[in-house]
Amino acid sequence: MTLDAASVRAVAKKDFQDAVRSRLLWALSVLFILFAGGMAYLYTEIQNASGNELAALDLIFFLQSPVGLLIPLTGLLLGYKSVAGEIETGSVKILLSLPHSRGSVLLGKLFGRTGVLTVPILVGFAVAAVVVLALYPVFTAKYYLAFVAVTILFGLAYVSIAVAISAMTKSTSRAAVGIVSAFVAFNMLWEVIGYGIHYVVTLITEGDGVFFPGFANEAPTWFLFYQRLSPNGAFGGALTSALPRDSSFSEFFPSGDVPFYLADWFSLVILALWVIVPLYLGYLRFDAADL
Amino acid sequence: MTAIELDGVTKRFSDVVALRNVDLTVRDGEIFGFLGPNGAGKSTTIDILLDFIRPTSGDVRVLGLDAQAESEAVRSRLGVLPDGYDVYERLTGRQHMEFAIESKAADDDAEALLDRVGILDAADRKAGGYSKGMTQRLMLAMALVGEPDMLILDEPSTGLDPNGAREMREIIREERDRGATIFFSSHILEQVEAVCDRVGILRDGELVAVDSIAGLRDAADQEMTLKVTVDEVTPAARDGVTDLPGVSNVITNGNTLSVTCDSDSKTEVLDALEFAGAEVRDFSTEQASLEELFAAYTTSEVSA
Repeated sequence: MTLDAASVRAVAKKDFQDAVRSRLLWALSVLFILFAGGMAYLYTEIQNASGNELAALDLIFFLQSPVGLLIPLTGLLLGYKSVAGEIETGSVKILLSLPHSRGSVLLGKLFGRTGVLTVPILVGFAVAAVVVLALYPVFTAKYYLAFVAVTILFGLAYVSIAVAISAMTKSTSRAAVGIVSAFVAFNMLWEVIGYGIHYVVTLITEGDGVFFPGFANEAPTWFLFYQRLSPNGAFGGALTSALPRDSSFSEFFPSGDVPFYLADWFSLVILALWVIVPLYLGYLRFDAADL
Repeated sequence: MTAIELDGVTKRFSDVVALRNVDLTVRDGEIFGFLGPNGAGKSTTIDILLDFIRPTSGDVRVLGLDAQAESEAVRSRLGVLPDGYDVYERLTGRQHMEFAIESKAADDDAEALLDRVGILDAADRKAGGYSKGMTQRLMLAMALVGEPDMLILDEPSTGLDPNGAREMREIIREERDRGATIFFSSHILEQVEAVCDRVGILRDGELVAVDSIAGLRDAADQEMTLKVTVDEVTPAARDGVTDLPGVSNVITNGNTLSVTCDSDSKTEVLDALEFAGAEVRDFSTEQASLEELFAAYTTSEVSA
């Protein structure tokens, strides 16, 4: 694989410029501002009503689930046309007549589209921070920033999945089917399949099939690891690694003496692999294809 | 050094053979016209030069480099005007130029190039609103970025009016004079005649001829039309001409015979008329048009 930094930058810049001129970026920005700002407002209202002390950590906890849905949706939508769309219209001929390797093109697409996702994330969460600050005096910037950073990494992973799917087909309609499948697989089926595996395993080992493995400290380690293998699971784990141990997150995750693959930092590694592996697989297919 | 060297190149798409054992050499610094009807394999050949697609077998070298293994190095020295492309609709002409300049690490002036192809006034408009002729000009300007060693132009006059096509030819000549090799494809022979040093003709995936236009004419041994006016067209005169081995068609119009025959059968036709007792008052010959010449190569009549 030939990668060239200048080439990647040129492609990413072109891709980002193209998106800035579309309504997509602006629509996404508005969506994220409404979402993050609205959630922050809602959160402060709940906290004020209950009289509990407000902490940025809890806001993060409050935001985590909806972010875990919003980022996959937007990331996949932003990426699925990135390569297949250029092949369909023929603009890929302009792109590849210039001295870009196919690897540089995919990496440039990944960064360009992630840029398009990062702008609304930053703007949205900045607005959320302002809302919290306006309504409540205490705000821990450090953890909040860590949350935003992990969210961007999470976005990078989903854009990578989408760009990879886009690079594996020459039709945007097939790419659309691909991203819908990916969304369903990672956001709905992963957990269910895990229960299925748990059922089979318990049926074999204990003679009695059980679907639900129990919460963090009861479930077998292989199941906890399986949960963290999905991009969404890795996102949750990576967040705990970025936040202090005593937050409300920790109770959902195994603590104390755990194997390295269940350590919080390892979730960051898994998330990083979700950035690298899909794109590499997409590259293998794209590089071998006749365009 | 040779600009392009194809050696036994075959390209098969599932059940279709697009190129069949093509050998082709394009010399450094020449203007080479790559001709053939639509579907003959011109774009396939160009796609292979640019590594968009890979040959099933055979070797391809461009500017002395391996077209596949060293494709980025090849493309950094090429300027390409592709066929069947689409511009980035939301980017302006200027942004397209900047993308090409940045991609090639060149230091060209975007405005100067846009001015050279005649669309400077549209530089800041979105390319999605350009006419086909304007996008062709924009693509040519992008191809000129970085003073490439070779220009590969796929059907460059598509969408251009006669004036635009003339300007295109002027730029092609200027680039050749600068020292660049020009390789361009067309399905219309007239377009290449004016500028090409040599042409190659592709038919059904096979290269049937490579020569200058004059050379092609000689090699094709084209039929011509001989018009002979006589005092009276008698049946004997008409039959005498029709029966000649080199004559394929005779049309009578009043006292004039239009005889389609081999280019070296002229004397025999005139002799046959006199032998039948006709008095020749006037005659003229018409050479086959370029269109007919092209048709001769691209249908099964001739193979060189």
